[in-house]
Amino acid sequence: MCYDSGRKMKRVMNLSHIRKTAVQALLLIAGAAMLCFGAWRGEAATVLSKAINLCLECVGIG
Amino acid sequence: MDNKNSCRASLLLARFRGWVQAGAALLTNLHLPNFFRGRLYQGAGKAVCVPGLNCYSCPAASGACPIGAFQAVVGSSKFRFSYYITGTLILLGVLLGRFICGFLCPFGWFQELLHKLPTKKLSTRKLRPLTYLKYAVLLVMVVLLPALTVNEVGMGDPFFCKYLCPQGVLEGAIPLSLTNAGIRAALGTLFTRKLSILLTVAVLSVVFYRPFCKWLCPLGAFYALLNKVSLFQMQVDPNKCISCGKCAKACQMDVDITKTPNHTECIRCGMCVRACPTHAVAFRYGFGNGRQNTTETTMED
Amino acid sequence: MNMKKFAALLLAALMVLTLAACGAASSSAAGAASGAAVTDDPQTTEEAAALYAKLMDQENALLSENTDLWDKVYLQANKGMAMVEDGKNYGDFLLDTIEAAKSEFSAEELEVLTKAAGEIRDIENQLTALEEKFPDCQQAYMNGGASVSPEEGSLQKFPAFEGKDLDGNTVNSDDLFSANAVTVVNFWFTACKPCVGELSDLDALNRELAEKGGALIGINTTTLNGDEASIAEAKEVLAKKGASYQNVYFDASGAAGAFIQNIFAYPTTYVVDRSGNIVGDPIMGAITEKNQAEALQKLIDQALAADAG
Repeated sequence: MCYDSGRKMKRVMNLSHIRKTAVQALLLIAGAAMLCFGAWRGEAATVLSKAINLCLECVGIG
Repeated sequence: MDNKNSCRASLLLARFRGWVQAGAALLTNLHLPNFFRGRLYQGAGKAVCVPGLNCYSCPAASGACPIGAFQAVVGSSKFRFSYYITGTLILLGVLLGRFICGFLCPFGWFQELLHKLPTKKLSTRKLRPLTYLKYAVLLVMVVLLPALTVNEVGMGDPFFCKYLCPQGVLEGAIPLSLTNAGIRAALGTLFTRKLSILLTVAVLSVVFYRPFCKWLCPLGAFYALLNKVSLFQMQVDPNKCISCGKCAKACQMDVDITKTPNHTECIRCGMCVRACPTHAVAFRYGFGNGRQNTTETTMED
Repeated sequence: MNMKKFAALLLAALMVLTLAACGAASSSAAGAASGAAVTDDPQTTEEAAALYAKLMDQENALLSENTDLWDKVYLQANKGMAMVEDGKNYGDFLLDTIEAAKSEFSAEELEVLTKAAGEIRDIENQLTALEEKFPDCQQAYMNGGASVSPEEGSLQKFPAFEGKDLDGNTVNSDDLFSANAVTVVNFWFTACKPCVGELSDLDALNRELAEKGGALIGINTTTLNGDEASIAEAKEVLAKKGASYQNVYFDASGAAGAFIQNIFAYPTTYVVDRSGNIVGDPIMGAITEKNQAEALQKLIDQALAADAG
């Protein structure tokens, strides 16, 4: 993209700033929501059971 | 943020990166006595992911590896996708981005230490296309194969852990087999294959800077995707920049920070911050774009 | 910068050392297994104890060769014709006894006995010399320290448990073990892929063992305490894999529950003999791997042979 006009550039700048902030906030909310939903449906327990026992195939043994 | 202060803080952070890496590696692997006891930490901390690539089968590991955990959930008979891990990774990616690679990942630190060995060093600039390989690793080995190639009970293999990840051998198989005769007896062809992957990565790390991070790491790939929207960013002050090109030359991840401050490959190591003669490059933490580097980010879009 | 270079070199050296140690450890384990650790000129108490054990074995072999004849000799000795005096060579004592009772034996028998007793005298002389040089070696031999390997020397009981199988029948570990010449105990859990992967192989092994008077049982660690949902899941997986052998659960608070706390690699398979002792080291990892299956078979054969003899 090419911004030759100074005024246009400034407008894009502001828009982009707002857009980026919005994307960041949305992603943070979405991430937190996904995390909670996943934990609620029992994924954390699956992770725990995998992580406390040696994963033989993971370390290249079985 | 006061410009001068942010400059000083950036320089300090960049300078003491090695210590942060050491501290992060220690925190990620807090249960050191387990190395000698030849067993794993089995507490509740293992339900939570650490930010870096750190095998949960490491005797000292204090948390779960996000990539291993994702495959464990996806490969279990109950689930086909992991919201828990994806959510964690999105949060970490937006809050820190590839700062995690540069400062917090134990395997990144391991490669960097090897790179400090005094030998001839080679540039990876011409190997740029290989950086896209890690996205394929993420999609195929971590997301798709464990969820789709399942046995009759609906369980899939952790393909990345099983066939590629060198960290599992380094942190899991080697220390455990040293102290545990049963594990030693179980070492087979898979171990030999994975050990050779580890050795290859180790040798490549001596001549190239962080080859695994650049080309193969699925965790780095995920954070790379979020690097553009991460709150932890780089900013270049166009008023101070004299376009000397020293930052681009100093960058071992082959990024020109003045053109693309939030490039997917930038691991926020701060070598450009230290290389800049006019202190035009600095870290920035916050929402949106910094005042100075708006033009650069829009152009990148 | 120099510090960093130094640290990097140190790390590299450390890595090489760990790898080297890895190789060395496995090769020394192999050496111990083949039992080639006995030297004729011992330097340490351990080596002396190993030599002591070897000599004792030779002596026992000589004495067990012609048990009928030796029994006759002992009978004569019991009649009080000669006494074992403190410090007297056992071989000499035997020779004296044989000499005193030579009318009881034929010329051929006498020759065999005298020859064996002479060898025993030589062995006893060596043993006495060893004891003088290494006063502790006899004690070390008695403790079984250097006889084969420490793991095999000390017997470990499989923890007793009382529970139920997945169909609700009561299972008692003492009854279970004493009813079988060998019992293979496989620890697994439902979410463990390699564990599930070996279920059909284990079922085949169970059928094979049944012909030899043995049995295989599974212990699914998620079903401990009799959790209904876990039991249903385990049964479903077992059915899908066509595994019909007995799976048991018990209370996690008991000795066997504590035993499971120490298992961290799944699947882990133990071999237990008729008296409830664990045979050899547990097999870690699935027996779908060829070398693991062979290692397990070896332990089973060992237990069966011990039960038969």
